[in-house]
Amino acid sequence: MRATLPLLALLVLLAAGAANAQFAFAPPAVDLTGEWAPRVYNTHMDIGDYTGMPINEEGRLRAQSWHPDQLDLPENLCRPHPIDHGLRVSVSQLRITNELDSETRLPVGLRLHVWWQEPEQVIYMDGRPHPSPNAPHKWSGFSTGRWERNTLVYRTTHLKEAYLSRTGVPKSPNAEVTTRMHRYGNLLTITFIIHDPAYLTQPYIRESSWVLDPNQVIPTYPCEITPEGAIVPAGKVPSFLPGQNDVLRDFPTEYGIPFEAALGGAETMYPEYIKKMKTMKVAPRTTTEHFRRTQ
Amino acid sequence: MARRGILLVAAVALLLSVHIAGQGRGGAQNAPPATARAAAAFDITGYWVSEVTEKWRYRMLVPDKGDYQMVPLNPEGRKVAAAWDPARDQTSGEACRSYGAVGLLQVPGRLHITWQDDNTLRLDADSGTQTRLFRFGGSPPPSAEVSWQGSSAAMWGGGEPRDRRDGFGGPAQDPTGRLAVVPAQRKESDYLKVTTTRMRPGYLQKNGIPYSGNALLEEYFDLFSDPYTKNTWVVLTQVVTDPQYLIEPLIMHAHFKKLPDAAGWDPTPCRADEPR
Repeated sequence: MRATLPLLALLVLLAAGAANAQFAFAPPAVDLTGEWAPRVYNTHMDIGDYTGMPINEEGRLRAQSWHPDQLDLPENLCRPHPIDHGLRVSVSQLRITNELDSETRLPVGLRLHVWWQEPEQVIYMDGRPHPSPNAPHKWSGFSTGRWERNTLVYRTTHLKEAYLSRTGVPKSPNAEVTTRMHRYGNLLTITFIIHDPAYLTQPYIRESSWVLDPNQVIPTYPCEITPEGAIVPAGKVPSFLPGQNDVLRDFPTEYGIPFEAALGGAETMYPEYIKKMKTMKVAPRTTTEHFRRTQ
Repeated sequence: MARRGILLVAAVALLLSVHIAGQGRGGAQNAPPATARAAAAFDITGYWVSEVTEKWRYRMLVPDKGDYQMVPLNPEGRKVAAAWDPARDQTSGEACRSYGAVGLLQVPGRLHITWQDDNTLRLDADSGTQTRLFRFGGSPPPSAEVSWQGSSAAMWGGGEPRDRRDGFGGPAQDPTGRLAVVPAQRKESDYLKVTTTRMRPGYLQKNGIPYSGNALLEEYFDLFSDPYTKNTWVVLTQVVTDPQYLIEPLIMHAHFKKLPDAAGWDPTPCRADEPR
């Protein structure tokens, strides 16, 4: 009997070790931690460029009322992007570290840090639930993740109202973002699947990639707020009233795109739309070298 | 009697633990599947349609000559891009330059993916009416000739040996919240990797942004279903390495939504001056 008890204990331990699902914090299938250098597109840079975005009428109306001078308001000068957008624009150097509980020092998930405006996102993988819908919304929201084989999949809620593009296409505070992180050797691809019934008619999917760069040094991001009135007259909130956005047609005219197509919508995302565009009017172009502004 | 009961429980526990461990490691003692089809990480067959949500004006239109934003072209590449002449391509038998392996999946259209045989995936694209063959197992292509679609070697990726701390990327908590060391997880294949060489020189974009015959194309296909809409997509990451025209490897993406059938299949010839 004395010899059997240790054997039983050993067997129980063996069985527990074999079923990793029992652990509150599942060990990662793939190591995503490290310094990742961006290889990021910067599309949707022009006012009036809603191409390929499945926005609805409400989203379009909000986007068309957005004025670029809003970026110069004191409250917006150091405003970060929500991380699903911040990871895709600017110079989005990325650092991923293990997140430890501040008191117990036990692992609870992963932490993302991005250079521009220094947003941080913690992806909890210890089984905790999402907070109440009434809990405060944050720039990086609240995220819980799990492994699907070797892919980290996480769901983000509680995001502040923000933008889908740098030119004012809105995202509501009720949006949810499913993110998939897949490591292919030293390449990291992140796929964002954005659900926002307030402004989108279907999921909006986009991808970005990073390359492992162990020597990358992410600098700090000091941001200074200029006093109210220094750039935009005090008390003024720049915007366009419905139907009065006088720069909306610049983008489609510059690039020879039918105005209707530039306004986006799910239909514009599919190959059939190429045929349809041939039946649409295109404003005469004054040059075919507008792209040189940013090249 | 009591001792016999304890031994019986012990034997059952031992069997159970071995059974669970075997499952967790994917049955390491089992022989690997004999064919790529049997070993498939996911079912990529069927009809798919491009969803163009980024780089829209580069894909849904023919971009302007010289517009190579976001492409790390070197001076030689810029020189070639500046000499692009779609009319000449159309009349000189080079109309398929933008439908080669590198550019094909950036061209909006539909795909039909099938198993040609147990070790060859076949991808048909209606845009340009092109066919790519992804050969598994290192079998050489029947012809060593260069072609628009080149020669593609395929593998199910993700199950390769661990990098650094994969599977140990930090300690784990046991059910009571204590620090624990867990056995390594076996990595299972979960993506399709395709490596393509021996391509005819072609275009990365419809507006004559070149890649050379020495280009190396590495592609990663990932498949997922969206929990809200239940739709399925394939996400493609492409890495183009071409020192002749690129300063550094170019990374491109595209994604495709699963379709129930062939509706909308619209084969087109190669056209140098059309988006698809």
